[in-house]
Order: sequence, then structure tokens, then C-alpha cells
Amino acid sequence: MSTTVATKAPPLERGQSPARRAVRRFLRHKLAVAGLVVVLSFILIAALAPWIAPYDPIATSWSNIRKPPSALHWFGTDENGRDVLSRLIWGARASLMAGVISVLGAVLIGVPIGLLAGLAGGWVDATISRIADAMLSVPFLILAIALAAFLGPALENAMIAIAITASPVFVRLARGMALDAKSTDWVEASRALGNPPWRIAFVHVLPNIIPPLLVQSTLAIAEAIIAEASLSFLGLGQQPPAPSWGSMLNSAQRFLDGAPWLAIAPGAAIFIVVLAFNLVGDGLRDALDPRADRR
Amino acid sequence: MTAPMLELRDVVRAFPVRDALGRSKGAVRAVDGVSLSVPRGSVLAIVGESGCGKSTLGRLALRLIEPDSGQILFEGEDLRSLSPAALRARRRDMQLIFQDPFASLDPRMTVEQAVAEPLRLHGIVPRAKERDRVAELLSRVGLRPELARRWPHEFSGGQRQRIAIARALASGPRLIVGDEPVSALDVSVQAQVINLLQDLIRELGLTFVLISHDLGVVRHIADRVAVMYLGRIVEEGPTAEVFSNPKHPYTRALLAAVPGQGHTKGAAALLEGDAPSPIDPPSGCRFRTRCPHAEAICAAQIPPLADHGHRAACHRQAELPPAAARHERDAGGERLKRLQAFFSDQRTGE
Repeated sequence: MSTTVATKAPPLERGQSPARRAVRRFLRHKLAVAGLVVVLSFILIAALAPWIAPYDPIATSWSNIRKPPSALHWFGTDENGRDVLSRLIWGARASLMAGVISVLGAVLIGVPIGLLAGLAGGWVDATISRIADAMLSVPFLILAIALAAFLGPALENAMIAIAITASPVFVRLARGMALDAKSTDWVEASRALGNPPWRIAFVHVLPNIIPPLLVQSTLAIAEAIIAEASLSFLGLGQQPPAPSWGSMLNSAQRFLDGAPWLAIAPGAAIFIVVLAFNLVGDGLRDALDPRADRR
Repeated sequence: MTAPMLELRDVVRAFPVRDALGRSKGAVRAVDGVSLSVPRGSVLAIVGESGCGKSTLGRLALRLIEPDSGQILFEGEDLRSLSPAALRARRRDMQLIFQDPFASLDPRMTVEQAVAEPLRLHGIVPRAKERDRVAELLSRVGLRPELARRWPHEFSGGQRQRIAIARALASGPRLIVGDEPVSALDVSVQAQVINLLQDLIRELGLTFVLISHDLGVVRHIADRVAVMYLGRIVEEGPTAEVFSNPKHPYTRALLAAVPGQGHTKGAAALLEGDAPSPIDPPSGCRFRTRCPHAEAICAAQIPPLADHGHRAACHRQAELPPAAARHERDAGGERLKRLQAFFSDQRTGE
């Protein structure tokens, strides 16, 4: 009787993992796929900068100061005669690195702390949550500026500052998701099976909260790119003469009337990348919707 | 005599209730002084309305929830005295089957990973033999081992519950608590899973605590029944005895509510309304507010679980007319008849 219950599948057929189903749903989302293509091309451009940039990004040329876009210099030249396109390509490195690495840092700081708070509960949770709340009560950019100023002006320090500033969001998210997961039957089941607490956290809870973390991360990358551009704009990020989109905007503001292309190029780059990351984030949110995955 | 598989002594657990500002508003005494003994190899059913504390009791018995007071003896050893590590090691001997098979399996683990987890945690088989053992367990619960690489979302409720049962069996437990193990399943599947559980209990010599509100299922597989009302046990005894000769008015009402059970409304009026709030339970006998036989003493004193053939907590149980007199026989089996005969002889002999 009981052996006749399951007769659907051919022998040892591999099931469809939740991750594969999510990928399929993501691919149906046209805007998100477009966003992903844009993001990947920018990453490719940043990685291949030394080979595809037409000019040296920091080589000055006194005969080519603030020239409008032309066949030789597609996006024109800046106040020191440097090729804007080349600086844009090299600047993509700083911006994307700042975005991805600082968010990675924020995840690595925030998620374990959030898991600890959610799963341990009690005074541990209260202490961690209050600290995170306190950090979140200060506007993102103000805190990042304060930290970056404290650490000293450099791209690495700007990234550290952004990582620390962005981490409370991940603490809160991981804590909330861990609290949710803690009350599920399968986490109780894992306790009943004899799993030690660290295994419950990393084997049972963490994989199940990755979807919202991934969505939050892509959105945070967009935010971090803006933050890096802002810090560089204020002189706290990438230091001259090395290019970054923020510092390019900074120097462009003095010539908005005479040479608007100096501002338009990095501004458009920031706009497009941030939009692309947001589209990817939205697509991921739909694709990873736990309600779509439940059954 | 060897110690019972599981023994609870005066176990209490209350959950604090807070208002919106986090101030304490009292406590729900979900389990309030429960003592029970489950002999090795027997099936004990815990029955009662929803919210009576039976699920909490099941989790207390496995120390998945910490009791406020009382003792939980597993094979004579107090689980509360164990360190966290020792308790985790002990968990291989006691397992839990959940009500909702859609929630009890980790959605990101294949069947194989889920069933192999207890094997690995407790070092039960060497890694090389793990796959074979998983296949064995799956076929034991009536699933084809070829399905091992699939994810929970690819199975029906009944299949998932079989996976959960295989996972619970993997570590070779001696005690299993089933928290409404079939009530979330389709009726057509319930009987299959109940039969599977019954086979496993018999073949593996399991001790089983069945938490259920389905009296038909309870009657089918339990050796003993404990009836809970608002955190307390009001009646406890051999299944056949409790079903044929319920002492407590609450048990009578429960049985009367089951279609085809034979008790007429005259013997015990059907329950009306909801159970009182467990935050502020009635004084004395907690059932008195819904009891047709309540008197002054019921409000004044908490009735003890007194032994009259089997244990029942009612001040007036000796005076109430026996329910068994009006009991019409249905499929109860030979043993039930023997027991009935035995107890009716005893009564006339007194």
C-alpha cells in the first residue's frame, strides 16, 4: 500500500532547487535582466579599463583644455586636458569597487551580528538593536562623512566608512529574518534533531534569509555608489589625480556654464549604474519572493 | 521495575503576556502542574481542545521549551539536569513529528540532506553508508529512494509528512512525540499515515506520545489517554476505559461531540461557548464554568486527580450517573469488552 504512494518521478531525477526556480523567475523579468546586462557591462568596462581606455586618465595636455566632445575625445576633455571618457572608464573601477566592496563589508559585519541578536534574544538582542537604532538615527551620508573625515581622505577609508554606515541596515534585516525563522517549525525541528546553535544559525537560518539579504545588497550597492561619489565630491574619497565619478563631478561644478560635458558624463554614469542596480534589486525581490517559493 | 520511558512530575510552564508597551499583564499558565507517566513501548494520547496546552506539553516533554518548574524524566534521567551539549546528544533518542509538513522541512534542503542530517549530527553511520541508510529510511516510510534528490516543495502533504517521519526515525529514537501528525493532511491520506505510524510503533517498539484532537485516531492507536483542559489533566487512563466509562464531565462532553460515539446528549450536554481565558482561569475546578454538574465545592477547591478505576479530576465523579450505562457498542474490539466486563464486575462487587 505505502510503496505505491510515490510513482511520479523517473529514477534519481534531480529535483529543481529553489535557487534554480528563482533564476527562472528572474529571467522572465525584462527590466531586471536589462539592469543586469548594464551592471555586467560596467563591471566588464571597469575590469578591462587598462585595455579599453583610449588615453591615460591622468595624463594632462595643456593644448586640450576643456575641449567639447569630438571624434578624438568622445566625451571631451577636462580642465587639465585629460580625456573624460578614459577618466570615466577608470572611474568606474573606483565607483564599482566602492559600491561592491563596501556593501560586502557591510554584509559581513551586519549579518552575523544580526543573526546573533535574533537567535540569542534577551539582553544580547536589546544591546545590539539599540546600537543599530542609534546608528540608523543619524542620516546615512552624515555618518559616512564623519567616519571618512575621521579616518582620513582616501578611497579605502571611504569604503570602510560606507561599510560601517551601511551595516546597521543588515543587522536589522538579519535580526528580523532570524526572528521570523526562529519561530518556524523547521528551525524548531533542527533543534529537536540536536543541532548546535551555530549550525542552526548558519545551516538552517542563513540560507533561508539569503533572498532578502541579496535584494537589500543590490539596493545598498546603488546607495554606496552614490555615497562614494558624494564623499569623493567632498574630497573625502578618491584623491586626485586618480579619477572617480564623484571627484569628476566635484571639479566639473566650476565649469558648468562653459563645459557642461564635464558634469554630464560622470553624472549620467552614476545615474545609469544606480538605476541598473535598483532594477536588478527589484527583479530579485520578485524572483526570490518566499511566497512564490513556498510550494 | 525499570523506569518509564517518560515521566513528567508536576510540570508547570507559563508564558508572560505583555501589553503594547511591554508591561506584564499576567501570564498564560499553558501547562499547570501536569504529572504523567508513559511506560516503555506504549502509546499515550493527549487530547483536548485547541489552546488547552497539549502542544506545549509535548514540547516540554522533549525540553524544547523550558519548564518553569517540575521534573521531566527521560528513562529515569532528569532532562533539566543536562547541560546543553548533553541534551543535544540525548536528542537522538527522542524525536518530534510536527503537525504541518509544509512548515517542518527546511525548504532549502533536499530530502536526502534532511534525512541524513540526524545521521551526521549523531555520527550514526559512516559517511560512505549514509546514502544507503537514507534510501532504507525512505523506503521504510513508503517513499521511493529515487526521490532523495528532490526538494520539499516537489512533494504533496502526505509525502512530506513521510519525509518528516523518516527524518525523525533516522537517529533511532526510542520516544517520539507526534504533535497532531495527521490533522493537516487530507482525510484520504490521514489513514495511510496513521497506519504507517502504527506499523512503525509496533515494529520498532517505539514509545509514542500522540497529541491529537481527533478522538477517532486516538481510540485507534493509543493505549492510554490523557484529557487536558486549560493546562491541567482532568482525566487519564487506559483508552478503552476512558472511552467506555468517562468519569469527568469534560471528557463526557468531548466524547458526546464525536459523531457515532454513542453517548447521547442526555448523558453529557454538548459544550457551549469557548474555554475561559487561560490568563485568568476559574478558581477551583477550571471546567466548572461550562460544567452542567458544578456545585459550590467546584469553585472552592481544585479537584485532585483521584483514582476511581482510572484517574479523573472531578469533585463529583462518584455521584455522577455512569455514562457507560447508556453507551452503545460500536467497533471497540475484544479487549475493550473484556475491560468493560472487568470494571462492571468490580463495581457490583463493592
